[in-house]
Amino acid sequence: MDDFIVFEGTLRELCEKVDRGELIPKLQASHAPPCKFWTAYAVINGIKHCVPLIHGPTGCTYSVSRYYKMYACNYKGCPFEPTSCTALNETAIVFGGESVLYEAVKEAHEKFNPDLIVIMSCCCSGIIGDDVEMIAKRVEREIKTNVLAIRSEGFGGDFRSGHEDAFRAIVSLMEPQKPKKNTINIVGARVGPTNTEWPQEIDELKKIVKALGIKINAIIAGGCTVSEIQKAPSAELNVSWCYDWGQKIGVLMEEQFGVPFSKTGLPYGHLATRDWILSIATPMNLEEKALTLIEEEERKIREDIKRTKNALEGTPVLIEIAEYPGPMRALALARMAKELGAEPVIINLHPYTVKERRPALDLLLQQGENPKVILTRGLFDIGTFESSKKTEKEIEYIADQYKNGLFFANPLRFPSLPVVNLGTFVSGPHFGYRGIKNIAYAVERALKYKNQKRSRLFKEVLYG
Amino acid sequence: MGSTKRMKSACIDPYVRCSFYGAAQTAFGFEDVCVIAHSPQGCKLSADVAFRWQQADYTVTKSLCSKLCEDEIVHGGEDTLRRTILDAQSYKKSIVFVISACGPEIIGDNIQSVAEEMEEITGFQIVPISAPGFLGSQYKGVDIALEVLIERFSAEKEKEENTVCIVAPHASGNPTWPGDLNWITQVLSALDVDVKAVLTYHSSLKDLENMSACETCLVLSHDAGLKAARLLSNAGSELLCSSTPLPVGIENTRKFLEQLGRRFDAEKKGEEIIEKGEKQVIQNLRRRRLEIEFFNKVSTAVVADCTIGIPLLRFLTEDLEMIPEAVLLRSPDSEGLAEQEIQKLQIYPEFECEIEVYQVKQCLKQTNPTCVIGSNIETHLAQELGIPFSFEVIAPVTEYRMTDRQYFGYRGMLNLIEIIQNQWQNRWKSKQKRYQSKW
Repeated sequence: MDDFIVFEGTLRELCEKVDRGELIPKLQASHAPPCKFWTAYAVINGIKHCVPLIHGPTGCTYSVSRYYKMYACNYKGCPFEPTSCTALNETAIVFGGESVLYEAVKEAHEKFNPDLIVIMSCCCSGIIGDDVEMIAKRVEREIKTNVLAIRSEGFGGDFRSGHEDAFRAIVSLMEPQKPKKNTINIVGARVGPTNTEWPQEIDELKKIVKALGIKINAIIAGGCTVSEIQKAPSAELNVSWCYDWGQKIGVLMEEQFGVPFSKTGLPYGHLATRDWILSIATPMNLEEKALTLIEEEERKIREDIKRTKNALEGTPVLIEIAEYPGPMRALALARMAKELGAEPVIINLHPYTVKERRPALDLLLQQGENPKVILTRGLFDIGTFESSKKTEKEIEYIADQYKNGLFFANPLRFPSLPVVNLGTFVSGPHFGYRGIKNIAYAVERALKYKNQKRSRLFKEVLYG
Repeated sequence: MGSTKRMKSACIDPYVRCSFYGAAQTAFGFEDVCVIAHSPQGCKLSADVAFRWQQADYTVTKSLCSKLCEDEIVHGGEDTLRRTILDAQSYKKSIVFVISACGPEIIGDNIQSVAEEMEEITGFQIVPISAPGFLGSQYKGVDIALEVLIERFSAEKEKEENTVCIVAPHASGNPTWPGDLNWITQVLSALDVDVKAVLTYHSSLKDLENMSACETCLVLSHDAGLKAARLLSNAGSELLCSSTPLPVGIENTRKFLEQLGRRFDAEKKGEEIIEKGEKQVIQNLRRRRLEIEFFNKVSTAVVADCTIGIPLLRFLTEDLEMIPEAVLLRSPDSEGLAEQEIQKLQIYPEFECEIEVYQVKQCLKQTNPTCVIGSNIETHLAQELGIPFSFEVIAPVTEYRMTDRQYFGYRGMLNLIEIIQNQWQNRWKSKQKRYQSKW
């Protein structure tokens, strides 16, 4: 078994190894597919009536528009708003594209009547050195509409830097405000409107916040307006459903406007949900109300908690990160599983992730989370298919060592353990109290049908 | 014919991807190869879309990316490319394509020399294709890649009688375009013509070896491929049906088949296919009910690529009695053919080529058609503008399609009518119950 295990230990030990440079993979760039340009666009796409103006050729523009904008139109009820570009050609590459960009911003303003124009550089304009910030400032004065510039050339950073630079640009729109009692911002949305994998996640959080009598000024940048962004510093508190993504805006706003940022993990399970609620209510002096709400809500799901606890107590729970749930959700699931008496083991938390999400991992470690982690060789293979195929074999082998365990992830793996499918539409949201019910249902189904033979068809499609 | 021709915009919301994507589409049309995107990693996502467009199988066809970062942009990315090519060795493929994107082309990476050098080390063929996105649209990329292939692999060969090389079947707006290629292949086979090479779809080295032996070549696109076909034609292949709309609708299909029949001395067989096909369409529509009232004199906007959009005009006008009042085409390559069709059909639409989204929205607002035949993009525009119907025929579409649906030929007509009729019906379906049942 051991020949394909690259690492086996605790989260803390993994972090230490990564710090010592022992596990840094010889990866060219990040293991995650998008470049900085894609992720910066993803964030900007969450602002209503904003025109992203890409200073580059049509390919980058069409790709992000198709992927994020059309998805938001088709599945998230957003109107079709433009994503435009300067369609840089060879001439502009040779002679510079600043004059084209200047004209394009003015034209975008006339055509689309936007509240905000965000100039985004891509590889071409980045390499030829077009000064996008200067153009943004110059045109902004002329057209009297907000114009931002983000240096988002794809070679300039990994996916995370695109998100963060876009968050920083958003904060630059904010202005000092008179504080407004009982108001919060939810920050860190990064994939457009209704901002997590399931729109229901944010609905669940909104429901909880509303029950506390708190108003949400904006979800930034998950379908917010420019005016809401500008007024964001009036909020009493910034919160996020995930410290990892919320921290950039949270910390910047704390520094620049003195708005405190509540640090929490993802609200998976009743105890994390309780923490999440109290992390908002306590600084807002709503603790009493919050405790009543928690008691009321927990009463409603007592049976679900009991059922899940019965199923998980003393059981090894393998949580693979790859396709779903992703690193932060996996860690939140591990916490939930541990609280319910299970023994969580996280499989394939990528060292690159450890590096880039270090502040969030440190927070978890401080909070006492330190699950077991296993890394396998397949994680480091080149080629998506090859890596996945190798990992599948490794996971099958690992699963065989954890008899009576459960496999929390998605049904794209075929271990000998019951698979808790958290990827179906009906299993969302995972957050909050509805999440507890949904996860309980998924666990129950996994156990009820544990003897159901997995499909040879599925497996052959996936792994040949 | 009206035209709303405007000054070229400085700011456009494009309908087409870039040349890098078009080149990747062409390369992924080969099975059992590896395609390396010499680019930052975002471009690889675009290459992945090309991979799916060619319906490539990830267990067989491989893709890698050199994932260029700031270091490479400053110091050059050739070493990284060399390393990536060495990585590709593990796949044991006979051909590796290297397609370079904007970044490495601007900084001057010489992918040709790296390819030559690495070919000697690795022992597999490496085909470098310089296709930075700033050179133009995806159609330009298809042309660039096809030209590279023809220049590299064409050879002096004796032409074989009754053979054809099919060019650019993938440069089409039909979301499941292999259905069209399949129909053409069957028709040619029925005329005793051998499709000896396809550039590109599930192609192999054999196709590249065979292309020079083909007596004729047939471009299955009005958007790309003509330049490549002319290269083949310069080497002695006869270019077929070059000034005819592709076979969508009764009349276009008839003309197309007659031309093929004449060229290959198979007029009688051609006539038989036409007779049988037309009968099949008529009987099907008679038996399954054609909703004629849906179509007659309906004001229609066509927003499409040239490949499907141009031949669609005659089908809509002559066969379905619809009135195209706006014709908006994505590429400029077949403007002449489109104008010619519009004149012959004696229709007077607003007509634009090389369109972008804002322009389309303005034109739709101005013409206010009853329906739009286009893509998912126009569905949203139509919703916003209060245009009652939009039919998603051209990629991108939201409908999931597990099987290939041709638009060419006789079954193609039925497929198009089916899409239109279904979406027409869907518009009128009850969206909510007026009262609850008692049981």
